Amino acid sequence: MAEQNDDILVLDKLGKTFRVGFWGKKVQAVRDVSLTLKRGESLGYLGPNGSGKTTSIKCILSLIQPTSGEIRLFGADPSDAAARARVGYLPEAPYFYDYLKPTEVLDYVGKLYGLDAATRKKRIPMLLDRLGLGHAMDRELRGFSKGMLQRVGIAQSLLSDPDLLIYDEPLSGLDPIGRKEVRELMAELRSEGKSLFFSSHVLTDIETLCDAVCILDRGAVVAQGRLADLLRMDKLESEALIELPADNADAAKALLTGLPGVEVREQVGAVLRLRLPTDVVPGLTAAVVEARATLRELSQRRESLEELFVQKAVHMSSDGQRATTPGGPA
Amino acid sequence: MNLTTTQEKLTLRIDGLAPALARITAVAGNTLREAGRNKLFFGLLGVTILMLVFSVLLSDLALADQKVRLVTDFGLAVIPLVCIGTAVLLGAVLLYKEIDRKTLYAILPKPIRRSEFLLGKFLGLSLLLLGQLAALAACWAGVLYLRGGAFSLALVQALALSYVEILLVTSAALFFSALSRPVLSGVLTMGVFMIGRITYVINDLMQATKGVFAEVPAMRVLGRVLVALVPDLSTFNIADELQAGVAIPPAYFLHATLYGLSWVGFFVVLSLLVFERRDLV
Repeated sequence: MAEQNDDILVLDKLGKTFRVGFWGKKVQAVRDVSLTLKRGESLGYLGPNGSGKTTSIKCILSLIQPTSGEIRLFGADPSDAAARARVGYLPEAPYFYDYLKPTEVLDYVGKLYGLDAATRKKRIPMLLDRLGLGHAMDRELRGFSKGMLQRVGIAQSLLSDPDLLIYDEPLSGLDPIGRKEVRELMAELRSEGKSLFFSSHVLTDIETLCDAVCILDRGAVVAQGRLADLLRMDKLESEALIELPADNADAAKALLTGLPGVEVREQVGAVLRLRLPTDVVPGLTAAVVEARATLRELSQRRESLEELFVQKAVHMSSDGQRATTPGGPA
Repeated sequence: MNLTTTQEKLTLRIDGLAPALARITAVAGNTLREAGRNKLFFGLLGVTILMLVFSVLLSDLALADQKVRLVTDFGLAVIPLVCIGTAVLLGAVLLYKEIDRKTLYAILPKPIRRSEFLLGKFLGLSLLLLGQLAALAACWAGVLYLRGGAFSLALVQALALSYVEILLVTSAALFFSALSRPVLSGVLTMGVFMIGRITYVINDLMQATKGVFAEVPAMRVLGRVLVALVPDLSTFNIADELQAGVAIPPAYFLHATLYGLSWVGFFVVLSLLVFERRDLV
């Protein structure tokens, strides 16, 4: 299949089942995941631990074979080395040969991409310098901090100037400054037109870096779409703070709460805090006038990604423990 | 400054034989570099060199006409064994270490085929063992010279056949390494080596009219299976001929080399088939 339109990554009903334990018990790590990443888009891949994010990414990179479904990477099968040549990959907690120096790691990677010696010589110090590793170019990786290793990982992912960057938990385990720096790097890459596909637990980062998200839970997609649509979709709400009239409080409250979708969040004395669908706001203001109440405050609020994530991806078992995918690789 | 090259598109050489060979060479180079920092490898090399030097002292205990022979026999026995020991130790962890340390996850998503990676690892280890064999042979030649002996063509032939045997054991280690964990792959590789060294004995026992292989049908079947599945490593051992002063015919040398390389090819192809299908979880 040739690369069509701007779809650079297509997952079509991707499924992966592992056999674990002595008796080969089946564990379905990924089930029927379908998504499309277009050129220049940035997609956040979310899900709790064990939800199948890393397994899906390994399928995309041909590290493991899907049990069902299809993956098209730049219109080709991921086993096609030429398709993978257009991808820059940063594994979760990247491990490189710790006896090598950053320049040696990148030189090795450059050879695998078929970059000539002159290009490698020019590009490697430039990238390392740009990623703040200029001072550590000649030190072995075994002495590097996690943040520094992450930068080496990012540098090697950018060496071939790829069209698509696949980053697995690029912000996990970093200190706040490291996270800020990596986030800024990713924003910069995005502004340079790179397509980003990355998994993360840090929802605020996803909110700022992604156009779209795909939320996984126990291997299956539970929410997917453009971030703006997902967070707005039937979730655009308003909150009103209303003071009821002293002489007619009960009737006024009955009138206001009788409106469709209106929910009392709090009542302190004669002051009511209501939550209501935004399209009910005109009806509410009319009712406030009719009930001779006072509208103290009216604000619009949108569901945050965190709320969406918690709602879609976190399940509570009866004893209050969070349910996770039983066994199997992440 | 941009993080990426936006002014000019980089040229990536992916398709074709030359880029594939370059990738195999890159992996081989890295494997060599890693082994070059392996203390066990250098420890083994140092101890063997000391043993070869010690054989000079040992030869003083021998009769005058046996001094050179003792050094020769000692080298012929010890050098291949040490190299095979190294092949088993390093070969058994060749792939496992990459998976265990998760370095493979950063390499295989690059435009490198699994077969290229595996061949690169095999090539790297084979070159390392060649270097080890050459270093020990050079030391052995020096010791022989001190004893008044000469490093004859026959000894070169013996070492060349030893290297074929070493390659064979390395390829078996590669296969088991692609299939199982280090301890098991080490045990299985040692099994191939030990049985391979006595295959001719099993053959002889099966042809005898008495004994367990001749009298117990199950043992006879086991013997046949072992002889069929395990390469006959005695093919590469020409120490007896050297001691007897018998010249090795070129045809035998060629046959033994081809026999060994066929087994190497068999094990490498099996390794490729296993590794291509393996999920790197």
